[in-house]
Amino acid sequence: MKRLPRFGLYILVVISVMISFLPIVWLILTSLKTTAGIYAWPPQYLPQPFTLANYTKIVTESPELLLYVLNSFIVGVGCTALTLSIGGLAGYALSRLRMPRATVLMVFILAVSMFPPVSLLPSLFQNFLNLGLLNTYLGLIIAHTGLFLPFTVWMLASYFATLPPEIEEAARMDGMGLMRIFLSIVIPLSWPGFVATGLIVFIFSWNEFPLALVLMTQNAMRTAPVGISLYPGEYAFPWETISTATVIAIVPILVITAIFQKQIVGGLTAGAGK
Amino acid sequence: MTEVKLERIGKSYGAVKAVQEFDLTIEDGEFLVLLGPSGCGKSTTLRMIAGLESITTGDLMISGQRMNDVDPKDRGVAMVFQNYALYPHKTVFDNMAMALKLQKVPVAEIRERVGRTAEMLGLTEYLDRKPAALSGGQRQRVAIGRAIVRTPKVFLFDEPLSNLDAKLRVKMRMELQELHDSLGVTSIYVTHDQIEAMTLADRIVIMNGGVVAQVGTPREVYDSPADEFVAGFIGSPSMNFIDLRRDASGLWVSVDGGLSFPSLPFASGDRNEIRLGIRPEHVEVAPLSDAEPKSGDFTATVRLAELLGADALLSLDIGGCRLTARVGGTGHPRTGDVLRVALPAALLHAFDTGNGRALERAST
Repeated sequence: MKRLPRFGLYILVVISVMISFLPIVWLILTSLKTTAGIYAWPPQYLPQPFTLANYTKIVTESPELLLYVLNSFIVGVGCTALTLSIGGLAGYALSRLRMPRATVLMVFILAVSMFPPVSLLPSLFQNFLNLGLLNTYLGLIIAHTGLFLPFTVWMLASYFATLPPEIEEAARMDGMGLMRIFLSIVIPLSWPGFVATGLIVFIFSWNEFPLALVLMTQNAMRTAPVGISLYPGEYAFPWETISTATVIAIVPILVITAIFQKQIVGGLTAGAGK
Repeated sequence: MTEVKLERIGKSYGAVKAVQEFDLTIEDGEFLVLLGPSGCGKSTTLRMIAGLESITTGDLMISGQRMNDVDPKDRGVAMVFQNYALYPHKTVFDNMAMALKLQKVPVAEIRERVGRTAEMLGLTEYLDRKPAALSGGQRQRVAIGRAIVRTPKVFLFDEPLSNLDAKLRVKMRMELQELHDSLGVTSIYVTHDQIEAMTLADRIVIMNGGVVAQVGTPREVYDSPADEFVAGFIGSPSMNFIDLRRDASGLWVSVDGGLSFPSLPFASGDRNEIRLGIRPEHVEVAPLSDAEPKSGDFTATVRLAELLGADALLSLDIGGCRLTARVGGTGHPRTGDVLRVALPAALLHAFDTGNGRALERAST
């Protein structure tokens, strides 16, 4: 009888995994079907015939997809690096430096992040135009950094708050300055927090649509989600191309997530068990 | 010569006074213990000396130099923290060598000094390990080693033993004592454990609510506590307190009944109420059958007898007045026994019921 509740738990896990994975599985299955298979009625569940033609076609006929993925990667890495640098320093200052009104500042930072990104677009576009930042990696990196910084500051500040302050005090007694403490003590100790936050920011940046659409207008500068969404022609939706391109575009994220999986789980639950 | 001088030193957070201004001089080579319950300001005082907490009022002098605005690393002090505060991502060697590295001491000298300290503390074989691979006692030894390596003028200890289990605590306490004897460095030690304070200290500073209640040798604070707080805090089990009132005939009777004293050896002035104190170990008990009762003896019933091993604690009821007595553990009285109890006048304490200050003994 004791095993029964666990059994129920497993069923729940399986159901929730199925629900969250179904769209991805369907996407992958679609990418392996022929055009006829996709529009077949009743719908095909398993590809018949099974084909890799879509993949070969997209690699040979639309080499710009790889460019989109590369653009996304550059922007994602740049945005993650910039966000973690600024957010780490800001989060540390807010959680440790006994700043007056630190709480008010934190709430303010959160409030700023509540504006829908679309509402920023007109002024952002105009300013980026004036500054010559349209269609540059730096431009979109800056825009994404601004967008995800509040989240990063909050994540990292709450991570720093879980570190025992005595270690930093011991470092002060040993003769370290503030910056040195941050670099050689705080960062190594909060590594899981940095990895988890960085990965989430990277995924956010990878998937971000409205800013990437508006600020990167040249085809060669488009990021993966924008580029793929612009595949549809005037009269047809090339589902097989879209699904294949999307599968290719999520592979880098899956690989990175798999690599850092341990740190993410550790980082997201850190402090909960104390 | 390292003399630490606190001159009218105090700390406030806004309107809240965490430490009330006080003066204290810690002699060269002295082992001073700051003792008190949590929140009494003892840690804050230590952190002000360390430089981790700013000083609101007064001056901190170390070897005659004003240190208020000097960076922690330049004060010549080293601190051992309660939770060890080792760098978890660095080896034992790097933990101990950090301060020297930052002082740009030559590598060969660092190796030599860390090696020597590690040997003294029995850590040589652990130098390449990370703190996570050490036991609690070893970690605390590394933390102490990290402080020793710097050859500081003053050691600061912030409850260094309270994370250890009871057995290890006793062992480390002895090691600390030996260490202090051999190094002779001025040490300031914060604890809430009165046994640590009594055994380690040359002098104890007892703090309560941000105020220094008494400064004295362990003997002094035990024998002549300055006030009711100190009397109750030092000693385990703590001192019995009995409220007395002077009746119309001038007899001191206990408010709860049972006890009465024709006279007491205290300068009670014109007070009509005092609080009497006697330590459980000073309450004398004897079977009723023994010899002739002396005047001033009381009859008590044992309400509860607890055997601790070498000793037993008796909860006595003297006509409604409750007292704890500490007696030898062999053949101790049982619950329900009726005993004769004496409270030796020389071992009594008396306190003002208003401000808790100890009353002077009457000069006779």
